[in-house]
Amino acid sequence: MRDSICIHVDGASLRVESHQTVTSALMRSGISAVRKSPSGEPRGALCAMGSCHECRATVNGVRGVRTCLVNVEEGMTIEREQPVLKTSMGVSVVHETMSFETDVAVIGSGPAGLAAACAAAELGKTVTIIDESPGPGGRIWSHRGSPPVEARPWIERARIAGVQRLQGYSVIDGKPEELKVASVKDGTRHRVLCSSVIIATGARERFLPFPGWTLPGVVGAGALQSLIKGGLPVSGRRLVVAGTGPLLLAVAKLAVSEGAKVVVVEQASFADRSALAIPLLLSPSRWRPARELWNSLRGVEMYTSSWVTAARGQQHVQEVSIRTPQGIKTLKVDGLAVGYGLIPESRVAAGLGCEIDEDGFVRVDEHQQTRVPGVLCAGESTGIAGSESALDEGLVAGIVSAGRNPRSRLLARVRRHRFWGQAIEKAHPLRDEVLQLAGAEDVICRCEDVRAGEIAGCVSRREARLIHRWGMGHCQGRVCEGSSMCAALEGSDSVRPPWTVAPPEARIETSR
Amino acid sequence: MAIPHFLVVGAGIVGAACARELAREGNRVTVIDSGPGAGLQGGTAAGMGHVVVNEGDPDTLKLCLRGRELWRSDAPPMSERDSYWETGTLWIAEDEETLLQLEGAQKKLESVGVVSERIDGRQLIKLEPALAPDLAGGLRVPHDGVIYAPTAAREFLNASPKVTCHFGVSVKNIGDGMVELTDGRIFEGEAVIVATGISVLTILGEAGARLAEKVSLYPREGHLAITARGTRILDHHIVEAGYQKAAHSTSNHSISNHSTSHHSTSHAGSKSGSVACAILPRQTDQLCLGSSRRPGEPGPVDPNMMMRVIDRCERFVPSVKTLPILRTWTGARAATSDGKPLLGPVPGLQRTWIAAGFEGLGITQAPAAAELIRQRIMGESCTLDPWPWDPARPYKNNSALTKRESDHA
Repeated sequence: MRDSICIHVDGASLRVESHQTVTSALMRSGISAVRKSPSGEPRGALCAMGSCHECRATVNGVRGVRTCLVNVEEGMTIEREQPVLKTSMGVSVVHETMSFETDVAVIGSGPAGLAAACAAAELGKTVTIIDESPGPGGRIWSHRGSPPVEARPWIERARIAGVQRLQGYSVIDGKPEELKVASVKDGTRHRVLCSSVIIATGARERFLPFPGWTLPGVVGAGALQSLIKGGLPVSGRRLVVAGTGPLLLAVAKLAVSEGAKVVVVEQASFADRSALAIPLLLSPSRWRPARELWNSLRGVEMYTSSWVTAARGQQHVQEVSIRTPQGIKTLKVDGLAVGYGLIPESRVAAGLGCEIDEDGFVRVDEHQQTRVPGVLCAGESTGIAGSESALDEGLVAGIVSAGRNPRSRLLARVRRHRFWGQAIEKAHPLRDEVLQLAGAEDVICRCEDVRAGEIAGCVSRREARLIHRWGMGHCQGRVCEGSSMCAALEGSDSVRPPWTVAPPEARIETSR
Repeated sequence: MAIPHFLVVGAGIVGAACARELAREGNRVTVIDSGPGAGLQGGTAAGMGHVVVNEGDPDTLKLCLRGRELWRSDAPPMSERDSYWETGTLWIAEDEETLLQLEGAQKKLESVGVVSERIDGRQLIKLEPALAPDLAGGLRVPHDGVIYAPTAAREFLNASPKVTCHFGVSVKNIGDGMVELTDGRIFEGEAVIVATGISVLTILGEAGARLAEKVSLYPREGHLAITARGTRILDHHIVEAGYQKAAHSTSNHSISNHSTSHHSTSHAGSKSGSVACAILPRQTDQLCLGSSRRPGEPGPVDPNMMMRVIDRCERFVPSVKTLPILRTWTGARAATSDGKPLLGPVPGLQRTWIAAGFEGLGITQAPAAAELIRQRIMGESCTLDPWPWDPARPYKNNSALTKRESDHA
């Protein structure tokens, strides 16, 4: 049931529908920029899944709330972040903390997390899922109202098996037997005491900086998908969906079905992508979805071997330039979605001491066990292979965490999924041109407004961080980490608490 | 005539300051550092960046004061974000007894010509409304401030084309006036200045080991946190009075701790370490929250220690927990057994100098230490009496301490 409720944005009242995120409600009301960068540029949501922190605002008086992770509520106040006043009227009160005891703590409630939770709970373990979003499903099954068909059986199974869910919490610190979590809404800290941890934090989009990518209205490809599923109307809108990978087609399909006019811009060449034909032929379960996808995209303008070179606009993206084999094209747009594939989200794993490989993936054995006793990892953070793979890996992790041995058929399936994931990756190699789009004056670190020219001469990550402040902001480097400029820097970063920047642990109670 | 050539090992704030001092006399300077660039390791990278004329013995006070003078008048050009910013230090007394100690501190400061101003509890709140309302009072030292040390180290080295840097290399051996790298390269110079912080005695090999029998150098770990932008609710560097006491309580050689009435600051000699409130505003509109001290190399962030630090900060700035924290980290200060830096020639060697062991005051004292090293090496008259810091001081009563310079009265 959707009701009309009243929220207050920077003092002005706004009527919005319930059951949607604050980001979505603001965008529907035409507010795409919610904050200003250190140099004063307007900024709005980029990833719409809690990674970029660009959508943060002061919500109900709490600083640093990621508005994409919080649903609107009656009477909610949303304010642009202002400097904290030097006077402190009232008393600082630390929120009451609680301890939750559970056998298995599952971090993330996407396919891997849900499957892991179901498997462990059905084998008699008490299970608690910790997830940043308001509801279960993760990025791929993000929804508004009722979950998508694929997700429903898992959510139902988890419910029947008695899985507890801590929705709206980030894991910010801890050790394998005790996780510290913080509410994304008000900063309340709790402890989760557990005997094993299954990390199912998935992946986030890879963003490659280009001129204009910081303009409000430029979002990730997956972000657009989430926003539309979350209720953002796109009917009649001109949208460019660009970047690389099969996600672009899925996003385009969704946008077209909602009435948008979509142009798809894929950087990979037709030749590269045709390499997918053989793995596809070997994978009958993917024939039908592939055909449906293809049919639904009839009439969509599509460019391959093409990429976005610049976005322009005042306060909001209005125009996009794309480089095609036929030359530069300039399109008038209402929005731009760009995503260059996925990169693993492995900060929690790193914080818990798990081994991370050079591409950022968590190293696991055949049983999804990391090198840290009692810590398992399943899904995209171990390798990008899609939701079917994540489900099966989740089952393996859940079964193993319950002290059982997974069947060899299940393990064989996981191996096959990996093969498919690698094939997709190979069919979409990033071309050099898209890695070098940012000019010296373009921002590469959005949190701290570090420009490409500033770190051009840097050798090490340490230098880029300490001298130029790259990665020193709220997102902790999550957004720029995927860019080639950062990959070229020497050294690695240690993950220290907080593993995710959370709202403060205390609030000011005004004197009564 | 060949241009004299000097070698500096360590491109932290102290080594970099030494390099600049020697280069500005027209000398050629080669800087060697194991890190990826200047100021990216050790205390320079991990420290808060405060420039504080600290209460302590008169010699330390003078070195701090000269350091501060030079930061104010002679810092290398830097962006506004990184340059010296005079926040002033506000030493805060929690209770009347500590306030009395601050009066003593003020007299000491006065004796070396440092201006300070006593502040009562009520004025304190006017000056810094975010402070707790029940604090007894404080002492304001106006010209103290903050510098961004990694950039400062870098700019010290950029200041002269006569400085050549070799980064990412490790030292195999240091001889008298000679440095041999593990990659086989050998550098020779008029003198070598070794400024590698905690590792300084190890890196000096035999000569270092001999010195280590007389004066030990050990790491003191500290925990720090930084808040998000937009949270600079303080204008001053806030330090609780008694910080010094807390600071030295982890040392076996420390001044004894007479007072027992202070609760959370003193855990004398314990392995669990001590914490004291030190909050430094930064030009990026953030607050750096500290600090802790415990013996040992910097380890991973210990959540309990971090919590103790922030709890202690909360005692003085009650709203501190309402500010989002972006990062936490640890670092180590290099402390000497007698609490004074080692600044001068290595006993037994003629052309090898040492500049280390500043224990948390390295950034404050770096320009003064570098000036002193230059003055002694070049045989100029010294601005400050160099003997309190001479590495040969433990040999005071035997012949090893021969005044090679008769320049200083």
